[in-house]
Amino acid sequence: MSYALNEVEATAKRAARGAGYDWGLAEEAAKATRWLCAQGLDGAAVLAGLLEAGYASERNAHVPQDLEGDWLAAAPLCPLATGAALSDCAARLQDTPRKMGPVTRPAMILPFAAMAARQLGACVTVEGEGFQAVTDGSGLHIEGTLPETSGALTIRAAGSLANANPSHTRAEPEEAAWAVLNRFAHKTYAPATEESRLLGAGAGLSDND
Amino acid sequence: METTAQTTISRRDPAQVMRLSRLGSLHQCRLSFMRVLTRRMAEENWSFSRPKFDIDAKGVGVAVYTATGPARSYSLVAFAHDLPPEMRSDRVIATAWDATFTLFDGVPTDADIERLSKNVPYQEAGRVNEKSLSVSRANRSVRLWAHFVDALSQGQQPDPEQVDAVGYLMRTTAVYGSGKLGAADREAIADRPELSAPFQAEMLSVYLTRVFVRDLVEHMARAQGGENAVRLAPETALRLGIGNSTGLGMAPYIVNHPVLFNNWIMAREEAIARVRSVETATAEEAACFRRMLRRSELSAARWHSEHPVQIEKLASLHKDLEALAAWVAADDLLNDYPWDRLIRWSETALGLEGQELAASLILEPYAELVDGLSDCMADSNKEAFVIDGAMPVAQVRELIGDSFGWALELDWSARENCARAWYVSEEKLEPRMGERFDEPIANYEQPLAPARDAALAYAALAEWDGQEPVAAFLLRHPEHRHTVRRAQMSRVAPYGEIRSNTISDRVLPVDMLRAKLSFFGATHFDPRSDRWVRICMYAGAPYPEDLTTANADLWVYPEANQ
Repeated sequence: MSYALNEVEATAKRAARGAGYDWGLAEEAAKATRWLCAQGLDGAAVLAGLLEAGYASERNAHVPQDLEGDWLAAAPLCPLATGAALSDCAARLQDTPRKMGPVTRPAMILPFAAMAARQLGACVTVEGEGFQAVTDGSGLHIEGTLPETSGALTIRAAGSLANANPSHTRAEPEEAAWAVLNRFAHKTYAPATEESRLLGAGAGLSDND
Repeated sequence: METTAQTTISRRDPAQVMRLSRLGSLHQCRLSFMRVLTRRMAEENWSFSRPKFDIDAKGVGVAVYTATGPARSYSLVAFAHDLPPEMRSDRVIATAWDATFTLFDGVPTDADIERLSKNVPYQEAGRVNEKSLSVSRANRSVRLWAHFVDALSQGQQPDPEQVDAVGYLMRTTAVYGSGKLGAADREAIADRPELSAPFQAEMLSVYLTRVFVRDLVEHMARAQGGENAVRLAPETALRLGIGNSTGLGMAPYIVNHPVLFNNWIMAREEAIARVRSVETATAEEAACFRRMLRRSELSAARWHSEHPVQIEKLASLHKDLEALAAWVAADDLLNDYPWDRLIRWSETALGLEGQELAASLILEPYAELVDGLSDCMADSNKEAFVIDGAMPVAQVRELIGDSFGWALELDWSARENCARAWYVSEEKLEPRMGERFDEPIANYEQPLAPARDAALAYAALAEWDGQEPVAAFLLRHPEHRHTVRRAQMSRVAPYGEIRSNTISDRVLPVDMLRAKLSFFGATHFDPRSDRWVRICMYAGAPYPEDLTTANADLWVYPEANQ
């Protein structure tokens, strides 16, 4: 089925929150998923795969331990928290390439590389085993195939983008992945009670007159 | 924001403007989205047609209304239904309506209409595609509808008093846009000049809905009365608006879109500052203001509410209007910064309803200073979302203090200060508000208490070295990430934050609804509880066949002979 990108964004935000991420990272997950879909990639499938890894419950194990130096970890890095840190530290890419890894769903790093590229006003290249991706912030070009989990990634302020993917205004997520997102999103909904039905939305004077 | 106009008077302080009590007293003005639309359609000489009106004697069928501007056409596809009375409800949990609509991008083919007929009538249970720009539904005002059909079918015109008491034949109960239910995203249409100002597709949809409702009631009267039936008198049709019931679902919008909401408020504040900076007014400008003030008095006289809070506010407004009339009678409004003098006086003498009405009214004589600001009201600043992680912790604290200084000392653990929680219900996936200490909802709380969250982040940041980049703080405290983002947004959006507690035991969500609806151009706010409100849209507006540049703008102010 074809979805509006705003639907993707809204569902992704609820799903990330439902999976246990804090609101700020859920907002980031939503924009990132939308950005991937606008590139013609199945952002919903990437996010669904990540949320099923269940990193939010032990978030400190899956983030860089320190912003200085390389971000190499024992447990796989969460691309949302790590990607957010990458964007937060965009200016540092100007001087030094950033090494990080291993990274689960490295495709989810790309939207954050794009945020960094927009802040720098320059292309950012993400390189891992078997693939290289370049973004200028709005467009993306990938050579090779992104794995589900990558070893070390190298991210640098470099590259040029001659032939970006055409941008998409709709998303067609894989049905199973979309169902996973909705399952997580559902965890954010308060079960209806008769009281909330009556009071929560503010029934008052008659609405049939 | 345009910078051409010279202002010697600065914009009002966000600390004054952004209190919820004041936001809940805002009135429409020249920048309201309905007026932006009707002005444009008249200036560009849009044409209108009704390519289809296929509705039977029971009132069931489909109609299409097409509006064509210089570059594109848009069509309202309207489905009329025969709704059993027991199913009629304005609540979002309803599953059937008297009429359902979509605004179609272009002119629909029969195949499009066939596809839409299998989806639009079901609203949330249906699905549209990117050719739809909005999806909406409406219910009849039962008593006024029956009265109209009976009267017209017997060759009589409806009783004006009953028209006044209700104001509309149908009220919309939801108008969905921007990607909802599969419709086109805002981003897909935002660069079209005619839709670039906020909510123009939705406003066009409601404008055409009003035409459909007039045509449908005449059609039903003919079906009932045959040759005895008469058409609705144009002066009665003109007074009819489209009602709207707006519930809590809309309240979070202005919290969730701080840059967009800022742009609305800032455009109006800039307009007010420009007009206050006018040193001398011409006789015609002063006369224009006096005319609009008189017409506002008429509008206020027709504004009814049964809600105790609004009854009190209306009493205050009537008193304010008297005081305003007296002040204006004693002043020539020509010299020595007349509008600034008026605003400064209003702040000492009038309630919030009267102050904000005065602030909207002084804009009326100054189309050339004000109207261009409507181009600044959309949110095209996608980059405001991106956090600047290099910003020192001390500066983030300063930004939080600027917007939320008033909230930092509040005892956020006191029950009265956090009595409420916003959540999304499983049933209809719509925002609701509940009692934090009485209902099992706290675990599902939505981030709609920016002031509380700001106080928490402010305290956590105090533990950090002020020179550290905030990126380091966020790595350890992702729970404050949304708050740091908002704080940084406040640099471009000084009017982006509501400066009142949105979870206190005294919060009135209808204030949030009114703030938003006033920018649509709504009038006659009629709260039906503390969390849903009825309004009227387009009452007094010329119908498409009568729309000219002479009547496209000031229709919102009734005239004595109407």
